[in-house]
Amino acid sequence: MFRLIKIESSKLFYKLKSWLGPMLIMILVLTAFPLSIDISQFDLEKFYFSIIVVSLLMTSFLATEGMFEEDYEDGSLEQEYLVEKDFYKVVLSKIFVYVCFIGVPIAFIGAIFSFANGVAIGNFINVFISLSLSNLLLFNLFAFGNALSINKGAMLGILTTLPLALPVIILLGTAIRSIQYGNSFLEIISLMIGMGFLISAIMPLIISTTLKTHID
Amino acid sequence: MKLISAQNISYRINEKMLFHNLSLEVCSGEGLHIKGRNGSGKSTLLKILLGITSVSKGLIEYKNQDLKISYLGHKNAIKNYLTPAQNLQLFFDDLSLTNAFKWLEKLDLYQVQDELTANLSFGQQKKLALIRVLAQSSELIVLDEPFVGLDKAASELLNSFFHQKLSEGTGLILTSHIQPSVECQVIELDKTNV
Repeated sequence: MFRLIKIESSKLFYKLKSWLGPMLIMILVLTAFPLSIDISQFDLEKFYFSIIVVSLLMTSFLATEGMFEEDYEDGSLEQEYLVEKDFYKVVLSKIFVYVCFIGVPIAFIGAIFSFANGVAIGNFINVFISLSLSNLLLFNLFAFGNALSINKGAMLGILTTLPLALPVIILLGTAIRSIQYGNSFLEIISLMIGMGFLISAIMPLIISTTLKTHID
Repeated sequence: MKLISAQNISYRINEKMLFHNLSLEVCSGEGLHIKGRNGSGKSTLLKILLGITSVSKGLIEYKNQDLKISYLGHKNAIKNYLTPAQNLQLFFDDLSLTNAFKWLEKLDLYQVQDELTANLSFGQQKKLALIRVLAQSSELIVLDEPFVGLDKAASELLNSFFHQKLSEGTGLILTSHIQPSVECQVIELDKTNV
């Protein structure tokens, strides 16, 4: 497992486009949107979180675009299958690395921007945790989409899994509201952690089977 | 010692039977050369033997479940956005890395080790991919068209590697339109087609 995490980290580190692109887009959207509309600061405070949530959805969508496609195209997946005998650990480590190196920094950027737009400093960590957990869920879902249509252009598969992301968005919205109004945050975050554990355990299994079907 | 055996395997794709009731066996120190025209199922047979592709009918048995196999298929499994040196660091652990760099030198890739792999020629990329097999210790080597893209010197080096590995007791399975210089059993897939 450590070997796989090391390999995936190295690959991602050198693929500048894959990790820097989503982060820059996140910053760009969060900066450009308030500038592009004529709106008072009071109104912006009210709905700036919506922009963060949509940006999060978009950037996680972009970050997972080529997750398995490249390894499938160049034959690396076959090589890993020979070593590991299935794809479970490969998928698990890939999602872990993507969440750590792209998902968490994106969540951090989102949290910083929310702070800059009126969120109390004490809530920074709550926003950051909510966004990180949402990214964990979204990356798992979009990774499945990527694996689903690996030989037909991975974006197509991600689009088909987009409806699955809607419950995550609803959950994140609820978490954000609970932060804003200061109630039930722990309950919501516990639900997100539980879902995170569940999806992180089950989704790699489904993705692993999907990938095996593709190389078969 | 028997490393791998296939008993009465058949493979059907899109109503076309690629091979039917094919049996083979590779023991330690033995080579198997799979021949056949394009599309006869050579690469598919290799993938079936490796367990990557599921067989339609028949049984594949390995010496044990942890049989160490080195494989290079049609796809090179190298990263174009990395340098050859970085690619080797991905493939190998610290122990095997020194050996891998020795092969880099033997295959005349040492001078280009810090260039982007995308900028290397087809033959150089093939040599780099082959290092994955050459520098790894394994009980069975499986290669799909290993001579394609190689110059004469590299082909000779590969043949002498086959000699050495077979004498050490490693099994070898390869598909190739070029005859390797080692003694091998030969399977012609065209003759097993239905």
